[in-house]
Amino acid sequence: MKTIFKIAVLATALLFMLIADLPLLFEQDVPPLFEQLVPEAHAILGVRRRTRRRTAVIVGSEVHAEDSAQIQQAQQQTAAAQQQAAAAQQQAAAAQAPPPPPPATAGKPLPLGTVVSTLPAGCTAKTVSNVEYYQCGGNYYRAVFQGNNLVYVTAKP
Amino acid sequence: MNTLNFRKAAALFALGVLVLSATIATGVRAQSPAVDPAATQILHRMTDYVGSLQKFSVRTQNTLEDLLVSGHRVDFDVSADVIISRPNKLHAARKGELIDQAFYYDGKTLTLYNPSDKVYATEPAPGTIEEMLDFARETLGLIVPVADLVYRNAYPLLIQDVNMAVVVGKSFIGGIRCDHLLFSRPGVDFQVWVADSGKPLPYKYVVTDTGIPTRLSITTVMSNWNVAPAVADARFTFVPPKGAKPTTFMPF
Repeated sequence: MKTIFKIAVLATALLFMLIADLPLLFEQDVPPLFEQLVPEAHAILGVRRRTRRRTAVIVGSEVHAEDSAQIQQAQQQTAAAQQQAAAAQQQAAAAQAPPPPPPATAGKPLPLGTVVSTLPAGCTAKTVSNVEYYQCGGNYYRAVFQGNNLVYVTAKP
Repeated sequence: MNTLNFRKAAALFALGVLVLSATIATGVRAQSPAVDPAATQILHRMTDYVGSLQKFSVRTQNTLEDLLVSGHRVDFDVSADVIISRPNKLHAARKGELIDQAFYYDGKTLTLYNPSDKVYATEPAPGTIEEMLDFARETLGLIVPVADLVYRNAYPLLIQDVNMAVVVGKSFIGGIRCDHLLFSRPGVDFQVWVADSGKPLPYKYVVTDTGIPTRLSITTVMSNWNVAPAVADARFTFVPPKGAKPTTFMPF
């Protein structure tokens, strides 16, 4: 009986651990070979990081001068505020999850404003009033910066 | 039965000792906040010095630790050449295995240019480097290399909420003898290596995110410091090369 209980507990624990990985399984891109080898590769240099993390100490230049006694008191508050900020950052990161890959088949045109990280195969460039568009099947894409990353958005020339 | 009782007693005793020692340790820590003034003074001297420089240029080697989905640790390197002219000019050229990007800020606009894609975007920007860095990060989602050390008022910004500061020791970075400092704030630890004689310049900077279990870091090694570079203002203004296409920033 005890053994069964142990197994049940372990299995449940394992399941919970797996839940954390599930979103990753569902948001797999269909990227070029390099990104398949290094799935995080495209995500590291800017906002498209899957797990947004801190790369700087200073995250805002507003400083509220406090004397050291106040700092002692305020420490718990700031810790809480930082946790909130971290939560907000995570949410922001989630909101900017990597754009989905373009659908493999060029059937129905995508809604305007759809963001993809890489252009589908077989696009032709076309310049309209000094803006370059890429025609891929039934869609036109335009390169735009999302943070430091160049992404492609469906647009109307 | 006796053995069992003895075991129970031993376990209880061990637990008691643990709890007691933990309580004592917490008490000690609370009594002496581990902020060594020697460490904060060196940091202050460095930030004051860098903040006082009217112009400077530096080469930075940035290593971003990352985790693959498979769980393997991998490093991504970006080499960045940065030129600053206070109060309102900054140019940075970044090259790495995943980025080829130039950044221009001339006090009026900022531009991101990807030479390999021949695409650039220009946006009106605030009038000082400090405001521009905030704007770039908050409004456009841009990351500017070594931004932490570029802020003119970097000291209060860095030292805010620091609850641990120590001089770890002396080390050599690129042949320069440096004081090795370690600071900790909630959610982030950072280490700075500052030249211990001559100009108090930073030669290495490590930021570790302690808010995530993997505690990943970004490491910046600085070299080729020039505190009086001969740069014309034109260097900071982007002139689109032939064939380069304009684009826009997506709202952040």
